[in-house]
Amino acid sequence: MAWLIGLGVLVVIALIVIMLYNRLVATRNQTNNAWKQIDVQLKRRHDLIPNLVEVVKDYMSYEQETLRQVIEARNQAVKATSPAAAMQAENALSGAMGKLFAVMEAYPDLKANQNVSRLMEELTGTENKISFARQFYNDSVMSLNNMVQSFPSNMIAGMFSFQPGTYFEVPEAETAVPKVDLR
Amino acid sequence: MSGTDAGPWDKTPAAAPPPPPPAAIKATDFLAAQRANKRNTWVLIVILLLLGGTLGYLGGAVIETYSNSYGSRYGLVETDSYSYSGRSALTTLSLFGVIGAGALISIGLAASGVTFAFGGRLMLGLAGAREVTAEEEPMLHNIVEEMAIAAGLPKPKIAVMETEVPNAFATGMDPQNAAIGVTRGLLTKLNRDELQGVIGHEMGHILNMDTRYMTAVAILVGLIALVCDMARRMMWYGGVAGGGRRRDREEKGGGNIILLVIFIAFAILAPIAAQLVRFAVSRQREYLADATSVRLTRNPVGLIGALEKLAAEQRPFDGANRATQHMFIVNPFKVFGANSTALFSTHPPLEQRIQRLQNLGIL
Repeated sequence: MAWLIGLGVLVVIALIVIMLYNRLVATRNQTNNAWKQIDVQLKRRHDLIPNLVEVVKDYMSYEQETLRQVIEARNQAVKATSPAAAMQAENALSGAMGKLFAVMEAYPDLKANQNVSRLMEELTGTENKISFARQFYNDSVMSLNNMVQSFPSNMIAGMFSFQPGTYFEVPEAETAVPKVDLR
Repeated sequence: MSGTDAGPWDKTPAAAPPPPPPAAIKATDFLAAQRANKRNTWVLIVILLLLGGTLGYLGGAVIETYSNSYGSRYGLVETDSYSYSGRSALTTLSLFGVIGAGALISIGLAASGVTFAFGGRLMLGLAGAREVTAEEEPMLHNIVEEMAIAAGLPKPKIAVMETEVPNAFATGMDPQNAAIGVTRGLLTKLNRDELQGVIGHEMGHILNMDTRYMTAVAILVGLIALVCDMARRMMWYGGVAGGGRRRDREEKGGGNIILLVIFIAFAILAPIAAQLVRFAVSRQREYLADATSVRLTRNPVGLIGALEKLAAEQRPFDGANRATQHMFIVNPFKVFGANSTALFSTHPPLEQRIQRLQNLGIL
């Protein structure tokens, strides 16, 4: 009788271990996938920017410098190979885009243009999607870390060497409000 | 994680320190709200199950008492071996009662479990909404996709209802087959942030699987109502028919009467109580969706502004009726007082929703 109870306890423990392990794997996969989703949105941004610049450059003859900076930042971001360089280039691009958006506010006929407002919406959406993808990545990292660090799943995580994730952190440059020079 | 695959955490070199504490403290606000709402919902479900269990027990006890007294009268049951009476069914465990309670709880759990496990088909036609493409409504599509990304869900179908009343709903038994519908008035009257708050709320319903949840609750409530209805009819006809004969029964009939009265009272009150629980669950899910919206947008201001605008312009419209009212972000039917009908409303009062959102703090 006693060994039956012991067996039952062992089975229950095994089931709990399996469940926790599977949840850890699922959370880690979700985190990896969330990271990939950021790349998807960044790619979309790279595709959209040349279109926007093409449409607005006739209206914004005084802003050639701003446009040139955007294109340059965009090309840098596309060219970047290492993850660290890519992150830096994307942040520079975000800064340049923010500046362009701010400058565009000063051109009322730009906003009246159907094509431009369409592209603007697409870019606003894409910028939002990038930040929401990052947010979801950070949310996923948080649930992964909660599992890796809290009892009892931390025991399973230790056994199968699950690592806590690293949060995506917004660099100082991006949190600062962009300075707009309206001349 | 194999060594060759560079995980996300490998990409930021030497950025090992844990998250900044202020962000973590802020984050617990809406996460705590979500946890509290989920806990409240479970308490309500347990109440519902207890109602069903009590009903089953009482019904079983009544059946047992009656089958014994009739059985002994007609010599079908040996009276000596059955010493149950109505009184003892109240003080000691009745076998039939336990069976009845078990049966009702398990039927209820199974029925709602089946609903929960196997989703269902989309109910978009319900509110007279028309699906729109990304070309027709680029901004709406973008916002929905943004919220889907923030929630980590596939992008749901998007539909528009041609009415000037601003409102929105979500439907679908599982996130893979979900849809979000908005009215034309919502698109014209809200700014982008407010629209995002509303879509975040609807995405919250999808993320929390509220359609399925409420269907499961409705099945439990329906089951209780059905059993009570059957019991009342049975008691009515059985009671009237057996009334004359009961006079000449031995003293244990007194216990029968008490049991019977309790059972009838319960049969009348239980369906009402079940409905109240259902509405309470519905209100909890609304709060939960509000908290989820803030989790997704990290911006309570948008949703607060949207709720204020929606409240100001709410009136019944085509596609909104008593059957669909619970689906919308703001109930299309004006609630008279803040508290007079609070128990019977599908949505919490707007002031309280806004107040709770303000309590989440500016993130």
